[in-house]
Amino acid sequence: MTSSVAAAAPSPAPALSPALSPKVVAPPPQKAADRKVVAAAADEVPNEMHVLAVDDSSVDRAVIAKILRSSKYRVTTVESATRALELLCLGLVPNVNMIITDYWMPGMTGYELLKRVKESSKLKEIPVVIMSSENVPNRISRCLEEGAEDFLLKPVRPSDVSRLCSRIR
Amino acid sequence: MVFMQGFLDEQFNQLEELQDESSPNFVEEVVDLFFKDSSRLLTNIEQAIDKYPQDFYRLDSLVHQFKGSGSSIGALRVKNECSVFKAHCNDRSLEGCRRSFQKIKREHATLKQKLESYFQLLRQVGPREYAVCSRK
Repeated sequence: MTSSVAAAAPSPAPALSPALSPKVVAPPPQKAADRKVVAAAADEVPNEMHVLAVDDSSVDRAVIAKILRSSKYRVTTVESATRALELLCLGLVPNVNMIITDYWMPGMTGYELLKRVKESSKLKEIPVVIMSSENVPNRISRCLEEGAEDFLLKPVRPSDVSRLCSRIR
Repeated sequence: MVFMQGFLDEQFNQLEELQDESSPNFVEEVVDLFFKDSSRLLTNIEQAIDKYPQDFYRLDSLVHQFKGSGSSIGALRVKNECSVFKAHCNDRSLEGCRRSFQKIKREHATLKQKLESYFQLLRQVGPREYAVCSRK
């Protein structure tokens, strides 16, 4: 199951109401489970905040995306840190205001993603939040030392995320 | 939701609260994602258990994923049994892993049945009725 943000997906752009900005921006192609949410949200004024959510679990991607969209954020989900970096470096996910990533993923971990982002002059200003199902104090402090904005324990709740986002604005 | 008690924890309620007009089937969709994922993981775990020599690291990693997504939908009993399994991996007890795996499969099958009934019930009762009842 790949999540593609590149142009290939044929999902139709939702009709934007005339009250919105005249720029018609095609939404990032969504997986089937996400598509309905994007179409319905088009009636509301889009929030400028764009979050990149990284998690290898399809369940967790769906949950974090829904939590964020319920707070009116635009969300792009990817299933790996490698993919996230690709998209960020290629400029395929412009104006990312926050990255929220799982810690433990096959291949590149969320921690490694955090380091790469903070080492990059182009990306280092983007706040990175780590999520993990394990409460390991060493891990938490290492992430914070490396520049993580916050560390959330899974399962993530709407209250965790709204607390976060009000700080990042 | 009395018949689900013990099987699901607070996380499931959190998902239900997220469900709204823009995604009226959110909970069922997430549950479907879980069962799609979980059947693949269960097969992989079974294969890993039967493999010789045992790779406890891989077993632990697979169950960790399974536990994670179970926990994300509030599958309490599944999650707890996964913790037991992980402890057996840690002890490198193959027999313990086998026993625990049988329990995980049973809990998983029971949960699937219960959730299927639950969503069927919701469809019959209708979302508005359910919304009224669930706020009582």
